[in-house]
Amino acid sequence: MTTGGHFEQEDLALYAMHGSTPAEAALVRAHLAECPACQAEFEKISSDLAMVAMSVEQHPLPEGARQRFIDRLADLPAPAAPVEVVPIRSEPPKRSAAIFIPWSIAAVMALVAVLLGLANNSVQHELAKDNYLIAQFAADSQHAQKVLDVLTAPEAQHVVLTAGKAAPVPTARAVYLASRGGLILEASNMGPLPADKTYELWVIPSNGAPSIPAGTFRPDASGNASLVLPDLPVGVQAKAFGVTIERAEGSPTPTLPIIMAGVAPTS
Amino acid sequence: MAGVGPSTVPSADDDLLLDRVRAGDQQAMAQIFDRYSRMVYSVALRVLADPGHAEDVLQDVFFKVWREPHAFLKGRGPMGAWLAVVARNRAIDALRRRKPSDSVDDVVLVSKTNLAAESQHKSMIEMVRKVMKALPQDQQASMELAYFEGLSHSEIAARTGDPLGTVKTRIRSALITLRKALEA
Repeated sequence: MTTGGHFEQEDLALYAMHGSTPAEAALVRAHLAECPACQAEFEKISSDLAMVAMSVEQHPLPEGARQRFIDRLADLPAPAAPVEVVPIRSEPPKRSAAIFIPWSIAAVMALVAVLLGLANNSVQHELAKDNYLIAQFAADSQHAQKVLDVLTAPEAQHVVLTAGKAAPVPTARAVYLASRGGLILEASNMGPLPADKTYELWVIPSNGAPSIPAGTFRPDASGNASLVLPDLPVGVQAKAFGVTIERAEGSPTPTLPIIMAGVAPTS
Repeated sequence: MAGVGPSTVPSADDDLLLDRVRAGDQQAMAQIFDRYSRMVYSVALRVLADPGHAEDVLQDVFFKVWREPHAFLKGRGPMGAWLAVVARNRAIDALRRRKPSDSVDDVVLVSKTNLAAESQHKSMIEMVRKVMKALPQDQQASMELAYFEGLSHSEIAARTGDPLGTVKTRIRSALITLRKALEA
């Protein structure tokens, strides 16, 4: 799916069109969060596609559609309280200075009322904004949980698409976020292992430090396996990732040979 | 709301209208509806080919703007383009009988063209129509299935009987052609 550590244009387009599978979408989303170049390209593709949408032949609305919208709109609560500023009408000046006293008091009170109204509106605006953010966080959390559910579900179908009749080869795709110590690995076409063996993933740090074990995994009957958020230290920049075959309980150091490897793109 | 005439012409005061919607101004909401409802309905109708269902999407999109005006943030591109994308995504969800994805947060659009200018807007739309019609038939068909029917690459390959790589190449070529035309 990637070239030089970046997603292909057509894959970003598929994501923009909501045509990716949840697992693919999770990979793209994670990559976009870390890759300004792909994010910029994604925004360009989205804009190009928006123009395609806007270029469709225009049709008039069904009769009464506008009125139906207006009628239903009137029944809905407002998203935020409208600001209502009451104009203060001034009266002609009177001869006696004493006459200004009540008007002055009224003007000051009106000014205070307006300021309070504005302050109230500001608070309501902030509240609405906070509510929106809370809803967004909840939606994001729910979305993340769905992604994890899909990636880790035993009954999930993993399908690898290859060009033509090329024989499937073992492949693995890792998404790694060093700043959070987060890693997701999806592997496919992995060969079966004896009961006393397991595959183990390694993070190879860019500073030359020893390889860090990133979890063990065994493929299912179809050769698919995944690792989701293994326990990893935070902030380790990776130079590469490797997979070895180890004893069933895993190993603190990799046992050669490294059967699969991938170099992390430099940012 | 009297005196608010329907219009499809985008305007630079969309941000001001949205600010008024945030403050609960129904007349501003009606103005946004008048400005973009025809475009939103047409996008939905293009996908769903059913006036009733397309109107459902139309109402749904604009109620979302009313209920969650903060979902459209400044800096996310022209409002008309944003509404077109949201309408298309909602219509695809309806077509595929999916739960509405509601992921408007990843709709971020960039435009070098001043879509608020009527002349530029019209000429840009016309140009995109010509480019799409001039695409080779196989590219047109792939884009049609991907964008207006919401099929994935593998679903298009299964539908057309073409290899997956060919489908991807056609979509990539169509996008490149469109990009070149838009940047020209």
